[in-house]
Amino acid sequence: MNISLYATMIGPFEGFSFMRIALIACLALVLANGPLGVLLLSRRMALDGDVLSHAVMPGAALGFVYAGHSLFALGAGGLLSGAVVAGLAGLLARGRRQRDETGLVAFYLITLALGVMLVAYFGNNVDIMRVLFGTVLAIDVSALMQIAVVSSVTMLLLAIFYRPLAVASFDQVFLRLVGGRAMRGMFMLLVLLNLVVSFQAFGTLLAVGPMLLPAAAARCWSRRPGVMSALASALGMLACYTGLLVSYHGNLPSGPAIVLVSGVIYGLSLLASAIGRYAVIMIRGSAA
Amino acid sequence: MVTLTDRPFRSWRTRVMTASRTAWHALEPYVDGGYRPDRPSQFGSDNGIEVQNISVRHGRIVALDGVSGSFAPGSLTAVVGPNGAGKSTLISVLAGITRPHRGRIACPARARHRLAYLPQQSEIDREYPVTISELVCLGLWQNFGALRAPGDDDAGRVVQAIAAVGLQDLTHRRVGAVSVGQMQRALFARLLLLDAEVILLDEPFAAVDTNTVQVLLALIARWHAERRTVVAVMHDLDQVRAHFPNTLLLARAPVAWGETGSVLTGENLAKARAAA
Repeated sequence: MNISLYATMIGPFEGFSFMRIALIACLALVLANGPLGVLLLSRRMALDGDVLSHAVMPGAALGFVYAGHSLFALGAGGLLSGAVVAGLAGLLARGRRQRDETGLVAFYLITLALGVMLVAYFGNNVDIMRVLFGTVLAIDVSALMQIAVVSSVTMLLLAIFYRPLAVASFDQVFLRLVGGRAMRGMFMLLVLLNLVVSFQAFGTLLAVGPMLLPAAAARCWSRRPGVMSALASALGMLACYTGLLVSYHGNLPSGPAIVLVSGVIYGLSLLASAIGRYAVIMIRGSAA
Repeated sequence: MVTLTDRPFRSWRTRVMTASRTAWHALEPYVDGGYRPDRPSQFGSDNGIEVQNISVRHGRIVALDGVSGSFAPGSLTAVVGPNGAGKSTLISVLAGITRPHRGRIACPARARHRLAYLPQQSEIDREYPVTISELVCLGLWQNFGALRAPGDDDAGRVVQAIAAVGLQDLTHRRVGAVSVGQMQRALFARLLLLDAEVILLDEPFAAVDTNTVQVLLALIARWHAERRTVVAVMHDLDQVRAHFPNTLLLARAPVAWGETGSVLTGENLAKARAAA
């Protein structure tokens, strides 16, 4: 009994180095994605994250066309096109009181379509599947290093600039008045960097999943930013581990499996918080 | 004679230190604009605001159409007008939050980061778990900036400011658990600590109880006596007549601008209603 449990839960990671590397890469990714996702949600910028994750695609596709599977070319191209789209979206939103969601959605559709066209023209259908949904299990040591560096830099910068980032998530106008004009740009750059490195693992369609879903789940349990960030990272890690196991035993694609498990965790968290609220009402009602 | 501290003889370590210090000084205004311990505390005579031909459009709707004029240094002005007259837009343009479609604003205090702007309360997410004292403490941002920790004197000044608005019993209450009036008192305490030369208030008394209004009006009078320039969007014309020496009657463009008594005439008010 114990042996079969061991074989199910640990065996795959013990037996295959690609499983080990995938696990470590995902854990490093969601460690930084947790706090970033919490900040993104508290600024009500989930859609911006989504748009950025698709904006990475045309550049990454061009990098792929010119340099094959070079990690650097993919990353640099993705970063560049993401920054261009973020800048364009910023220009579009300038001077308007209401956020123009139509513009953001238009950008995301255009960049996605453009990326698919580029990959299809220069590559084949397998390549399209890879850029859309990613290949967690194909992560090699150099990609792992890239993820580790971005994750460390993200954690470091979040720690240093925690105060202005926290203030911006409830009172952006105040932060703009006292200075700190570069904060928004730095934050978006961090989001973009993390999306670029999770591009290979989760693809353009799912890259934002490990960032937003664990953060949304953590929101059901606490409203304190520190607790939410830690919880988001922890739930993300749980989702990565479980998702990789599910994909291994069920012979299922690993990226979608991880995102799906994150989704299940989010659903359970929603349910638990609803039950919790109901219980509080019942207890208060019976006490009164 | 050449001394060994001259540039070519410095060690590489000194050079790296100097270069990084220079780089940080260049970058600091962008990442940590709040920190300037050497800022002047005296008010110059240049804390007024001048606007020239300001126009703002939201999509196809014209919010402001060619506003020109000036808020004199140390003046206390109420901005009044019918709904949709562009009052909030004007304040937000003065604060540098909304970019005008056309026109120019000269506001030296804003360039010095010595402008405070209180938007309508809906702009702040009150679900976020900060306490009253933490919120008020942000008013001392200039003392600690983004990176340094607030000091002991800062804590003392926060306690004073909270007492000045009568919130001493709610110091450690979450902002989500206080009333609109109490929240407005806390935001005024933060304004007190910001020590700004120009203070812009957008409907500061909306949905606020009468006791609180009296406390806040007293603070505004104090700022006026200290020769700070104050501009407030107001609804209650009786309050304006009683407490504001100057008034700007706005209906996308100024209908009248000057001394309150000469602006708030029946004729001008009718004109403003017709224009909106």
